[in-house]
Amino acid sequence: MVILGVILVLIVVAALWMAGVYNGLVRLRENVKNGWSQIDVQLKRRHDLIPNLVETAKGYMAHESKTLENVIKARQQAIDASSFKDKQAAENFLSSTLRSLFAVSENYPNLKADQQMRQLHEELTTTENKIAFARQYFNDEVNRLNVAVQAFPNNVVANMFKFEKRDFFELEDASEKKVPEVKF
Amino acid sequence: MPYSFTQIEEDKTKTIRFVFFFLILVYFAVFWLIAVIALNALDYEANPYVFRFRFAVLDLPHILIILGLAFMIGYAHWGFTTAGLVTRILGVLKAEALNPKDTYHQMFRNIVEEVSVATGGRKMEPVIVPTMAMNAFAVTDFSGRAVIGLTEGVLARLTRAQIEAVVGHEAAHIVTGDSLATTITTSLFELFSGVLRGFEAIFRFGGGGRNRSSVRAQGRGGGGVIVFLLLIYFLLAFTKFLSYLMRMFISRQREYRADAIATRLTRDPLSLAEALYAISYRWRGVGLPAQELESIFIINPAYSSIDEQNGFLPDLFSTHPPVHQRMGILLNMAHSDLKTVIKNIDHQAQRPRSSAPDIGTVSLQWMVNKDGAWQGPFNMAQLTVLGGIGPETWIQRIGGGNVQLLYQDPEARDAVIKNDLGAKNSSYHCPRCAVPLRILTYEGTEVFKCPSCRGTLVGENDIKRIIIREEIGFSDRIEKIAQGIQREETSGLVNVIKRDPKTLLKCPKCRFINNRMMRMFYTEVYRIEIDRCFNCGLIWFDADELEVLQCMIESALSKSK
Repeated sequence: MVILGVILVLIVVAALWMAGVYNGLVRLRENVKNGWSQIDVQLKRRHDLIPNLVETAKGYMAHESKTLENVIKARQQAIDASSFKDKQAAENFLSSTLRSLFAVSENYPNLKADQQMRQLHEELTTTENKIAFARQYFNDEVNRLNVAVQAFPNNVVANMFKFEKRDFFELEDASEKKVPEVKF
Repeated sequence: MPYSFTQIEEDKTKTIRFVFFFLILVYFAVFWLIAVIALNALDYEANPYVFRFRFAVLDLPHILIILGLAFMIGYAHWGFTTAGLVTRILGVLKAEALNPKDTYHQMFRNIVEEVSVATGGRKMEPVIVPTMAMNAFAVTDFSGRAVIGLTEGVLARLTRAQIEAVVGHEAAHIVTGDSLATTITTSLFELFSGVLRGFEAIFRFGGGGRNRSSVRAQGRGGGGVIVFLLLIYFLLAFTKFLSYLMRMFISRQREYRADAIATRLTRDPLSLAEALYAISYRWRGVGLPAQELESIFIINPAYSSIDEQNGFLPDLFSTHPPVHQRMGILLNMAHSDLKTVIKNIDHQAQRPRSSAPDIGTVSLQWMVNKDGAWQGPFNMAQLTVLGGIGPETWIQRIGGGNVQLLYQDPEARDAVIKNDLGAKNSSYHCPRCAVPLRILTYEGTEVFKCPSCRGTLVGENDIKRIIIREEIGFSDRIEKIAQGIQREETSGLVNVIKRDPKTLLKCPKCRFINNRMMRMFYTEVYRIEIDRCFNCGLIWFDADELEVLQCMIESALSKSK
């Protein structure tokens, strides 16, 4: 009788623990999902801004048609990309073409002074920053999820309910990877 | 790095509960003391000759009643101060919503959105305090409304990266929840300080209005009242002291933490160090109200030497840690040093200015064959409003050029046919030339410029911003005019404004009610003649006057630094 009671208590405790772990994992997964949707929103915003940018820049930099074409091509690739891996590569390529466009635009003072261009530049800067920050957040959350899914004893529950590891959204630029150390 | 923003969100500081119970405790202590004193006073009144002060005059039911009372009053106090708190504080700080047409404000809004993304989507609302002072703050209340505020001074003088770092710091206060704690604590005891000031006023009035000795001569009753008032006064001073202490306890360490979290957020400790340096050592500025709210700011707006010291007492009383220590930690993270920061800030102060934007090309002028006679010269803007000319009109450029038909000259064609001067028409008309004023972005804000006489119409709020910002450089000509006006002032050759009502301009906005603008000096210190509408606040500057005014103010400021 006593043994039966002990077993019953143990089962209840185990169930409660599993529920807690399960809920924690669900929350993490939702955070990752939310992080990804934030990145997605910003990437779309960038795609929308680019035609305007190219249109404005065209008037001033007729000699740089190749740079402009590259940007347009990269944008199309990014829109067409479907898998996570392709998307990542295409977006990184788009970032690099945009960077070279802004580098070239430094040589055109009239373009830099153009009010609309300045506005677009600010819009793109903020979108680029948002993408970077959203990626930062996403990767942090992915990291937490991955740790939670693999660490013992959580992994028992994770395997039972098919929680899976996620891939990070990688950067192409090695210099950006460096995270400053935080000391209190 | 296990400390992510969701985690911070999850284990927010529990200070707020502590503050609530502290408030109840304070009320309980106050009521208990008042009851003890009152009961003793009654004893004294009843029989002054055998009176002995007794401390334990209250039994348990009384104490419970007092506790209940303290709880009720404390709860009411809590509810009263925390309802609509953010709105109230923003009112005290005279903060304004952003102007969506202002480029600086657009940038600020974008930066806040970026940082919000970095925290995983915590909503934050940007506001601006229109002063030259350099500071930033965050406030939050129970409704979850979180506001990040910057002064115009910060927006004008810091770079985008530095502003991002400052906003990151403020966002860190919001996500850790200590913004909520500080907002609530600082405002809880505003009430006390208000009551205290009221008492002070009564005492001063009593002392000045009546003779003290005569009050005392009125007998024991009057004396009792004074003793009673004095005691309440001291009690209030004591509670204020307690609240002050508590506020300090919350405040100091959290700045380090916010700096660290801001670094995790924006990954740019160098910019934050630069911003701290620029704000605290270069020009802290003046013009921020509300000293009692000092703990919500990134840098203490009231400079106090105790902030820069370490040790037990400074730790206790100061709201902010020493700036040099905060910078030291940040520079350590950035693998940089103070020299780099100073070099960058100096470099920033000397960044190249852009020239003032203009409408059309002023230098181009044409003679026009109109109504069978050569007329002119006209500039582009004048051509757009001339009338009676078309593509087939004969024109000639001044300073060389053949007589040709108007459509053959590209600039003249743009001006007349497309009415295109590179700027949009506004709904206002020039008070001097009656042509539509053009919308122009000047120092990041929207102004209206006459293409013909080159006068500028500026809104009441925008003029403050234009003066604070330093994006545009001035030509030698403008600088000479500014120096000339200043010389005239110092030599006493002050010109008097002619106020002939017939020459007063009609306000471009209020002209339908026939309102004329008042001619006056911008201020008595900067004697630039402006026309100002007292109905809507619009200011009209004639050609060059706006630049000259800015130039005068900037040179005066650079001398005072």
